Amino acid sequence: MIMPRGEPLLMPVNPVFIGLSLVVGLAINLLPLGRVVWTPDLLMVLLVFWGVHQPLRIGMGVAFVLGLCMDVAQSALLGQHALAYTVLSFAAIAIHRRLLWYSVPSQALQVLPLFALAHAIELLLRLVSGGIFPGWWIFLAPLLEAVLWPMASWVLLAPQRRPPDSDQNRPL
Amino acid sequence: MPLGTLERSAPPFFKQGPSALSRLAVYSALAVFLMVADARFQLTGPLRLAVATVLYPIQWAMLKPVELASRGSGYFQSLQEAQQELDAARQRMTQMGQRANQAEQLELENGRLRQLLALRDRLQTPAQAAEVIYDTADPFTRRVVIDRGQTGGVEPGSPVMDEAGVLGQVTRVFPLVSEVTLLVDRDQAIPVLNIRTGARGVAYGDPVAGNGGGMELRFMPANADVRADDVLTTSGVDGLYPPGLPVARVVRVERRADSAFARVYCVPLAQVQGARHVVVLKPLPENALPRPEPAHPAPAKRGARK
Repeated sequence: MIMPRGEPLLMPVNPVFIGLSLVVGLAINLLPLGRVVWTPDLLMVLLVFWGVHQPLRIGMGVAFVLGLCMDVAQSALLGQHALAYTVLSFAAIAIHRRLLWYSVPSQALQVLPLFALAHAIELLLRLVSGGIFPGWWIFLAPLLEAVLWPMASWVLLAPQRRPPDSDQNRPL
Repeated sequence: MPLGTLERSAPPFFKQGPSALSRLAVYSALAVFLMVADARFQLTGPLRLAVATVLYPIQWAMLKPVELASRGSGYFQSLQEAQQELDAARQRMTQMGQRANQAEQLELENGRLRQLLALRDRLQTPAQAAEVIYDTADPFTRRVVIDRGQTGGVEPGSPVMDEAGVLGQVTRVFPLVSEVTLLVDRDQAIPVLNIRTGARGVAYGDPVAGNGGGMELRFMPANADVRADDVLTTSGVDGLYPPGLPVARVVRVERRADSAFARVYCVPLAQVQGARHVVVLKPLPENALPRPEPAHPAPAKRGARK
């Protein structure tokens, strides 16, 4: 196994934790805050994160189903989020071997185009199908998602950073 | 160290499944198919309903903190503001009471006159109150969600109004909530009547015009008698909206030399941005007004279209 130098060995991931994080992400996305166009899409961050870290577990099927849920919840065009999330998940799997060799801030810089691509797909689909242009604030969303990337990699990898056998000095 | 402690296990050698590219193609095709079925053929109602029912508990749970926050901020509103609002409401109630008394008398008179002229009685439309829960998050349309659904007897197509005028129309009904498309949505059209001149027209939503969106009265000839401050009401020719409900006020009329139509901009009278309490009317029954038979199309000429 080839790994970047200085990278800590991680514990195996708990599939329940992945599922739980996705459900929590979906729930936060469903917060009825009204029509705020620049809210970062938490599910996009989670899908890219797990697609990069666990490409065998979280792939395009999960992304597609979560996208359908988002479409129904937002009462958007059915399939709009599903397509964007599928493409996003594919892109995450395509870069997953390369991305983890970089430091976390440069990882954020590298996933920014992915988020921008997903939002551009949604925007394009809706403009083609007769929606209105929601305003320039929508381009803030991918930036905020990229900003969330370091935080996501800190929080979501925390359970895997535990020591294999806990003792008095390191209870967690 | 036990074997199970390392995170990176070797990927399976032989059981690899379809390649990423083929999975991408399959899911994208499925998504495109769904989009076409949804936008063009309206086939996806059952799927939407099923997913919405599954998601309803999560949505309900996430609604609670937001509601709590808004109610908490309302709780700390100053006493003075509340008293001012009460005074304003009392004044309005007095004015409306006066009008209501007059209206009763007028209604009586109107009924007699109608009988005298042997005209049809005006229809009474049953209505029920509802509350707007939240704006839908989709930034490409203008819709709100109200707290009455199929179990509350809401039908798709029902007109929705607030105290000032027509707000929109119910477009999707779920078991416990339903979705109202506002008048300013781009796909929303409403037949209107200019009460100053009696001219009928169709007003379309135009969310880009002005700040916060408005409406546009389309297909009015360039020399049509439309002025700023004209009030538009529902005309009732669609057999869905009851006639006489206030809809919009004309704000600007542009007459251009290069176009056969005038551009007439209006603003809805209802509070489109922050409506809270609304009334859902029952759509007029199908047979309220007998529809004229569609004219028989002339037999197609040979060679006209192949």
